[in-house]
Amino acid sequence: MDEDRIKIVLPDNRVITLKEFFEETERAHKELAKLSFEDKVRILVKLQEIARDWGQKKDVLVWKI
Amino acid sequence: MKHTLIVLNEMKEKGLFRDYAIGGAMAALRWTEPFFTQDLDIFIILQKEIREDEIINLSALYEYLKNKGYEWSGQWIIIEGIPVEFIPAEGLAKEAVEYGVDIEFEGVKTRVVSPEYLIALFLSAGREKDKIKVRLLLDQADIDKEKLEIILRKYSLYNKFERFKDSG
Repeated sequence: MDEDRIKIVLPDNRVITLKEFFEETERAHKELAKLSFEDKVRILVKLQEIARDWGQKKDVLVWKI
Repeated sequence: MKHTLIVLNEMKEKGLFRDYAIGGAMAALRWTEPFFTQDLDIFIILQKEIREDEIINLSALYEYLKNKGYEWSGQWIIIEGIPVEFIPAEGLAKEAVEYGVDIEFEGVKTRVVSPEYLIALFLSAGREKDKIKVRLLLDQADIDKEKLEIILRKYSLYNKFERFKDSG
């Protein structure tokens, strides 16, 4: 698959190549890594709620923070 | 979480352990993007050196928490709404606590294992879920490569690390 040639339309109507799309995704993950520990813990609690309410993990203990 | 850390700091002050650091997935999460995990691993250095043939006794620590009204759920003790697991630290883990990074969480002082020591610890454990965290740390955390190499060589993990990197 030629990631340089295949293009994708983003929700904001930008058209980028698949290669650029993967690079943007990578950058977004790295940006998330820069969040404060407090913000990450708040996101973690949301993930625990999703796992409990939507996933197959009814026994998940959702942290009380 | 803030109140859990306050309890941990109180326990350290009372001498229930000599030192502690957040380890495991929560420590990794400090250095990477957020991901799902359920418990808070706390690596503790006990007051007394652990001998090889010794049975580790954490009853004083558990008794203290029980007297404060905290309850068990499976292998975890729920401290201020968060499932905590205490892991006595020896060798690499002990060094990871000693060289942990002092941080604050909502104004409460705590310590977290550094990304370099986490990589060594996860490599040492070697489970699939540990390898995923090593990958995340290598991709997203600021790693001191020189420091990492020293740790890996000291604990005979360097070849394992090289093989891990080669495996893609």
